[in-house]
Amino acid sequence: MAFVSSGYNPDKPMEDRISDIGPRFYKEFLPPVLEKNYGKWVSHEILEPGLLVHEAESGDKVYTVRVGSARLISTELIREACAVAKQYCDGYLRWTTRNNIEFMTTSLESAKALKADLNSRKFDKGSYKFPVGGTGASVSNIVHTQGWIHCHTPATDASGTVKIIMDELFEEFTNMRMPAIVRVAVACCLNMCGACHCSDLAVVGFHRKPPIIDHEYLDNMCEIPLAIASCPTGALKPGKTELEGGKKVNTILVNNDRCMYCGNCYTMCPSLPLSDKEGDGVIIMVGGKVSNRISMPKFSKVAVAFIPNEPPRWPTLAKVCKKIIEVYAAEANKYERLGDWAERIGWESFFKKTELEFTHHLIDDFRDPAYFTWRQSTNFKF
Amino acid sequence: MATIEFKGKTFEVDEDGFLQRFEDWNPDWVDYVKESEGIKELSEEHNKVIEFLQDYYKKNGIAPMVRILSKVTGFKLKHIYELFPSGPGKGACKMAGLPKPTGCV
Ligand code: HEM
Ligand code: HEM
Ligand code: SF4
Ligand code: SF4
Repeated sequence: MAFVSSGYNPDKPMEDRISDIGPRFYKEFLPPVLEKNYGKWVSHEILEPGLLVHEAESGDKVYTVRVGSARLISTELIREACAVAKQYCDGYLRWTTRNNIEFMTTSLESAKALKADLNSRKFDKGSYKFPVGGTGASVSNIVHTQGWIHCHTPATDASGTVKIIMDELFEEFTNMRMPAIVRVAVACCLNMCGACHCSDLAVVGFHRKPPIIDHEYLDNMCEIPLAIASCPTGALKPGKTELEGGKKVNTILVNNDRCMYCGNCYTMCPSLPLSDKEGDGVIIMVGGKVSNRISMPKFSKVAVAFIPNEPPRWPTLAKVCKKIIEVYAAEANKYERLGDWAERIGWESFFKKTELEFTHHLIDDFRDPAYFTWRQSTNFKF
Repeated sequence: MATIEFKGKTFEVDEDGFLQRFEDWNPDWVDYVKESEGIKELSEEHNKVIEFLQDYYKKNGIAPMVRILSKVTGFKLKHIYELFPSGPGKGACKMAGLPKPTGCV
């Protein structure tokens, strides 16, 4: 397409430049019933999966229909959500912190009609566009990252793995039959953008090979001291090497015995790439939570050291995720988050019941605090 | 990788217009880049920032932290943006010939 100017003048880039205006004030977008009863809510109830009602002091009620979304969506799908909001909700809608979409109405009839309408909308290939659910003790949306769509450091894909896990657990999105909420998160590398370190079930992309060193370009592309300082295990040191033509260059040397493939050095230095088709895959972590309901917030813990990448449907990953959720759902007490359950029955029982293999990879060996993760007690079950 | 010809000199640059090799830098590079970084005329202050970045990089192998840049040049961050509208990284470091900033930028 030919160039179409927005009015910006590249010869005078600072002229008519607007900056530091921040986001729009959220109250500009509040449905009138929310604006009127703001801060005056007395109770709420989950009527059925994906349908909530809030009652205010004034007696006003607002019904909320929550639907799943792929997070990565086209303007076309956003427009369709807007059209739905226009038809049922006076043009108002909102997104949740787990990237679900919520539509709000003031009558139960229109909420029910809205729910039926949303559940009837499908893509050409058959997937639901706006599946209703994600409330109560369910598996709501998966908080996830960029993967092979956009990032340069991933060890797995995000949108792909999320789609297969949600397909596998779809019944749990549209029902509320878990002992408590199950939060699932996916991050495509150990940077863990998002919530993997504090979710009930988490999938994290993982490498298994040290970086390759591009000696020829390294000193030009990288600030060498930054790369050295980026390594958590001190596996890197500055060095010199001779290129094929005999030219001596400054570079970085990797001690492979100390490297645990975190990829931090590649983040800082483009000449240390490490992604690898066979080496890369995912780990599964379990038992994290952020709320302080009954027990304090917890970090998730590594339960499966490696599952290979199997695009496009990651069957092994899907199976293992489902198994963990099923055993938890069958065994845990009401209100017990996955981590609460595992801690109550003991991790050795968790591994026995879920039939996950316990390998040496799961034993912490990172610095002094690793010691506190070992067992200094004779309390254990055979 | 693209090669740029300017005033009879050639510069190898990446897709963001950063020099591929610090050694390739010369004053003509600054002259060539300034336009794309929203700078009409170079002042003493521009040169002070560029010179400091280059000195620091030669001595330490890294670009200085923003606070160090401010402290040594005496220019507050606001003033650095007035000089280099794209900021100290994309603007000043690029003109000084330093490698492209990395990390979660
Ligand atoms: C110069 C003399 C002694 C030295 C250098 C010494 C050193 C140690 C050390 C290094 C430990 C291990 C602490 C740990 O687990 O980190 C220990 C534990 C112990 N020592 Fe001694 N010890 C000495 C004398 C004694 C004596 C005379 C007794 C008994 C009458 C004794 C009874 C114990 C006991 C019962 C423990 C185990 C404590 C526990 O695990 O709670 N020690 N000692
Ligand atoms: C009937 C008498 C005793 C009873 C019922 C008794 C009971 C206990 C108990 C319940 C513990 C804690 C075990 C644990 O949970 O780790 C303990 C530890 C210990 N007791 Fe006794 N105890 C008795 C006599 C003694 C005597 C006479 C000594 C020393 C001469 C002694 C030295 C210790 C030591 C050093 C420990 C620490 C052991 C360790 O942590 O490795 N106890 N005892
Ligand atoms: S988790 Fe890693 S790979 Fe995924 S988006 Fe974040 S930095 Fe990129
Ligand atoms: S991948 Fe991680 S552990 Fe290995 S050298 Fe790089 S920073 Fe160090």
